[in-house]
Amino acid sequence: MHAILGIILIAGALLIQGCAAPAPSQDLLALTEAQMKIRSIQTRTFDVKDRQLAMRGVIASLQDLGFIIERANEPLGLVTAARFAEPNFYDVVGVTVTVRQESAGRMTIRANAIYNNRPIEDPKVYQNFFASLERSLFITKE
Amino acid sequence: MQRALVAGIFLLLSCQLAGCVTQTQPAELFQLTAESPRNKAMETRFFETKDEVELLSASAAVLQDLGFQVEESVQDVGFLRATKERSAREYGQDIGRFFAFILSLGHVIMPVDLHQKIEATLVARPINPEGTRREVRIIFYRVVWKGDGQADRQYIPPGQQKMEMLRDPAMYQQFFAKLSKAVFLEAFAL
Repeated sequence: MHAILGIILIAGALLIQGCAAPAPSQDLLALTEAQMKIRSIQTRTFDVKDRQLAMRGVIASLQDLGFIIERANEPLGLVTAARFAEPNFYDVVGVTVTVRQESAGRMTIRANAIYNNRPIEDPKVYQNFFASLERSLFITKE
Repeated sequence: MQRALVAGIFLLLSCQLAGCVTQTQPAELFQLTAESPRNKAMETRFFETKDEVELLSASAAVLQDLGFQVEESVQDVGFLRATKERSAREYGQDIGRFFAFILSLGHVIMPVDLHQKIEATLVARPINPEGTRREVRIIFYRVVWKGDGQADRQYIPPGQQKMEMLRDPAMYQQFFAKLSKAVFLEAFAL
């Protein structure tokens, strides 16, 4: 009898707990150490004459990598692209690249990549992307 | 004992089968592959022209001729995106569906491709500092939606998606042939 009562109490407690939504923590939007690290991985500075040239280089390198350009905004220096995780066509990799002028002749380029709505935090991904971008910018410069 | 052994073997086999599904690592997707230069050559043509606006508007006109609707354009970076929606019905699939239905004694109704959206993204850009030479690169891909079906008692709802890049050289050749006619220029391949 006691055992049954115990089970009912536990079940009741679980049910009640299920009702209370967990409150968002205070530092939900705070900048953490990890975020700073990711930002530095995602950002590189290049010596390029003007922003339009840099943007065209970004677009060309994304196309070389097999990405489909979805959106581009010249005034904001924004390029959004995506590709399928070939050979399977169910997973999608998305990337947003922003080009900002740091000083005359220097551009800060930041790339954010997601894999099926999950952010990619692997530094290798960004290294590969920037290596390809460097090649493409260099070719355009010549 | 024997049952446990059989179960163990099945488990091992199923684990190995799961291993067969190729999963590409994200890092590999940001690297050039052996096919990238070939795809690039297929998707790109060069034009001896200074006039990028003319090249872009001619490209838009050719896409319109091919039945595409231009959805987005950014002139400053020479970018165009166009789509075309069409039926994806194929007789082969309907015949396959019929035979699957007969052979499974009416238990299986395979979903067939119903509708597709073909997308084209095009970028024109100068490739020398004087700006006398420009390349046009176009990439086609499509999304296909399947209809409904049935597997035994289980109803398969419609709307299952399939996506693929279109890598048929004829399609690209056709586009560039039309484009070079439209701008009165010869298109050079890589």
